[in-house]
Amino acid sequence: MKRTLYVLLLAIIYWYVAGFSLLLFHSPGVVYQSNEEAPKPAKEAGGVFISGTSAGDAETLNWILAADSASFGYVGHTVDSLVTYDNEWRVQLRTAAKDVEVSEDGLVYTVTIRDDLRWSDGSKVTAEDYVYTLRNLMFSSWLNYPYQGDWQEEVGGKTVFVTPGVVNETTFNITRQTVDPEFIYTVRNLIPYPKYIAVKYEGDVKAFTQAPEFNNLTYTGNLGPYKFKEWVRNDKFVVERNPDYYLGKDNGAPYFEQYIIKLFGTSATAHAALEARDITYTGIDPDKVSKFKKMAGINVYTVPTTGYLLLAYNQRGNGWEGLKIKEVRQALSLAISKELIIEQVLYGFGDPAFSFIPKVSPWYLDKDMTKYGVKPLLDKGKAKELLLNAGYAVKTADGSIEVRSKGGKPLTLTLVTNAGNDERENVGYLVKEELGAIGINVELKFVPWATLLGKYLKNKVPDTDQEPGYNNGVGAVSEEPWDLMVMGFSTNPLSPSGQDVFYATKGGLNFPGFSNPQVDELFKRIKSAEALDEKAQKDLYAELSQLVSEEQPVDFLAFQLANVGFQKKVKGIEPGINMGYNYHLWYFE
Amino acid sequence: MGKAWLRDYIIRRLFYAVIIAWGILTITFILVRVGPTSPADKYLANLAARGEEPAQVIAAIEARYGLDKPIHEQYFSYIGNLVRGDWGWSFSTSMPVVKLIETHWIYSFQLILFSTILAALIGILIGMYSAVRQYSKTDYIATFFSFIGISIPNFWLGVMLILLFSVKLGLFKTYYDTGIPLLSLANLKQLILPVITLSTGMMAGYTRYTRSAMLDNLRKDFVRTARAKGLPERVVIGKHVFRNAVLPLVTIIMFDLGSIVFGGAYLTEIVFGIPGLGRISFNAIFADDYAVVVAVTLISAFLILLINLATDIAYAYLDPRIRYD
Repeated sequence: MKRTLYVLLLAIIYWYVAGFSLLLFHSPGVVYQSNEEAPKPAKEAGGVFISGTSAGDAETLNWILAADSASFGYVGHTVDSLVTYDNEWRVQLRTAAKDVEVSEDGLVYTVTIRDDLRWSDGSKVTAEDYVYTLRNLMFSSWLNYPYQGDWQEEVGGKTVFVTPGVVNETTFNITRQTVDPEFIYTVRNLIPYPKYIAVKYEGDVKAFTQAPEFNNLTYTGNLGPYKFKEWVRNDKFVVERNPDYYLGKDNGAPYFEQYIIKLFGTSATAHAALEARDITYTGIDPDKVSKFKKMAGINVYTVPTTGYLLLAYNQRGNGWEGLKIKEVRQALSLAISKELIIEQVLYGFGDPAFSFIPKVSPWYLDKDMTKYGVKPLLDKGKAKELLLNAGYAVKTADGSIEVRSKGGKPLTLTLVTNAGNDERENVGYLVKEELGAIGINVELKFVPWATLLGKYLKNKVPDTDQEPGYNNGVGAVSEEPWDLMVMGFSTNPLSPSGQDVFYATKGGLNFPGFSNPQVDELFKRIKSAEALDEKAQKDLYAELSQLVSEEQPVDFLAFQLANVGFQKKVKGIEPGINMGYNYHLWYFE
Repeated sequence: MGKAWLRDYIIRRLFYAVIIAWGILTITFILVRVGPTSPADKYLANLAARGEEPAQVIAAIEARYGLDKPIHEQYFSYIGNLVRGDWGWSFSTSMPVVKLIETHWIYSFQLILFSTILAALIGILIGMYSAVRQYSKTDYIATFFSFIGISIPNFWLGVMLILLFSVKLGLFKTYYDTGIPLLSLANLKQLILPVITLSTGMMAGYTRYTRSAMLDNLRKDFVRTARAKGLPERVVIGKHVFRNAVLPLVTIIMFDLGSIVFGGAYLTEIVFGIPGLGRISFNAIFADDYAVVVAVTLISAFLILLINLATDIAYAYLDPRIRYD
């Protein structure tokens, strides 16, 4: 008996070690003590704001090289753009002294920057820095700035850059040869590189890529609310309060001594960290919202996003031929309940989508939209009738309609999405159920993301040496056949015309192969002089929304709502689509 | 050493190690570079949100990093740089590959070292006792716990420990803080939960291996002889049986230690937010950052080959019957 106890002790000694360790190292000071017990006076500088995220790390702080969004996010803490927007899309001036001015003909954009902007060496930030950044860096052939397309236009069949020029120390302009009413949004986002440093590396991409000043953000002076302190890859990005912040003169420099972005491997551990008050803020998964809402020290806000879930219909040669017919696409969309998807997959955190323009966009219009997937256009009987009319169903002796392929066989469609994305997989299961109810069998294929990109999205014309791309023209098909695909896209609410990459015939991401000359034409008109008038632009967007809601290039399923959790002590937050626009004014109570 | 055959053996093995490492380097390089997607494809979501034409952006990124050149050109350029001591630039983390590895290896090393030591100490003790008392209640209990230990996924155990000890009891921070000095009591404290997580499975494995190896040896003639000579049971078990049983364990423990470079503690690092080499390597794979992937694979391969060699040499010393020709 004694020996048994001894061995039992050995067997669980491991856990005892843990237990002893807990006692050994435990000290009351380590336990989180809520600030609520000893509130500090509002707006006293101090404290560390820790933002937890399970998204990926940034790739570089040398932003001109970046193609990922996290890199721009990191740099944005230390350098402001010309303007930003509040939750109602009202312009909030940042490094611009006034909003960008557009000439009446829509060709000249004039930017006036503040005269109190300084680089770290104390020298003035001038219009020359902005123009140099555009002309010598962003437009250069040696640096390969990935977003050059934003600053190019088609003139006489050639692609050319817009022309920047210095007017005076604080003013510069950008001249176009063609009108693009939405170019202003690109200009407003501009941030500069310091010419006095960048010239040292000009022409040498390797030296520029590895330049310590750009990789450590040592040049940012008073341009942002925070200054760079530390970046531990795959762990954290740390910035500290910038007492010289140019907005400090008006509103006070940021409250927090440090702002840390802490990376977590999973959302579960980020949630645990917020629950334990080890971090100040993180995104909350939809299924955890009710739990966090019950916590005394946490505020949960539900905010709109620009992301939407969709069901793509393969209209290329290797998809079911029925999907090329508008009425058939409408029939499928009629049979799939958007509210069911929102309730069962998004836990209620979504709005039904009927086009690619989200409700939060200034260009959103509800009027005259064809709302498939919600009542009264959620109608499985009508869906069957549409399929019958298109020749994809037969009427039986008792008058009921049975969906069939043209050959009279049961219809089976292949739905594909990326494995591991629970949300999309669950939408797949629901679509299978919904289409099953009208007699269409759906086979589900969940494949790795790289496989989805390489074998299902990329396409080429068969038997050619064409390099596979996301839209290689009408005759191109993907390596693997598919019919339906659950995907997530995102729209820029200010310039939804960027969605032409998905829905225009020649759009670079139009992998489903949708083609409609009317849609193409509307996208063109929105980017033309005709749309310089805001009302005309709104009318064009309305027409485009109505058209795509009827055409169903894809089944627009739902715009997602996000949930974010903050410790209650954080004040000054304005929940909304651009919640962080005033984050330099947030403080701990 | 005094053994000429051993010296020749070591030289021969080192030569083979270089050849094998080069082979691994080449295969890894090709595998990373001939995947179905371009490294620039990972930006697709961001490009889509911005309404960018992907072909132009992808071409720009590929041109900047020389990924648009033929693969043999990229390969010879990489090898040339490697020979000159330049391991390349990690474009997914924007730092030299060598500095990246230098910065992050220690986080994995400390975790795996402590976990291996803890697991070996406890696992071997339990395994020995289990073998000596085979089919006793205590053996069954130890076996039961071993199977539980092997079966519990690190990922799940780590999250449970965080929820219990960090969230509910508030005894630990929920994540690893790189701001705490490595050589401090506070660092040891924050390693407790990760070490428990990682060592649970290892310990259970060592218990089973030790038990099995001990049982093999307990049935051997030399044990019967030792007992017949009247040696105390403590000496029979500790000196004769255990010394023979420990040989295969040495190999396993050495290989566990060798896994510091590539993914040995990946899941534990993910759960506790430890920026170790496992996390760095896996992120590099998903980012198609071939400079990092090839470097960590190469170092890992070389390390494993050296550990293998060290284990063989240790065998020769531990067991005089072993000789390599």
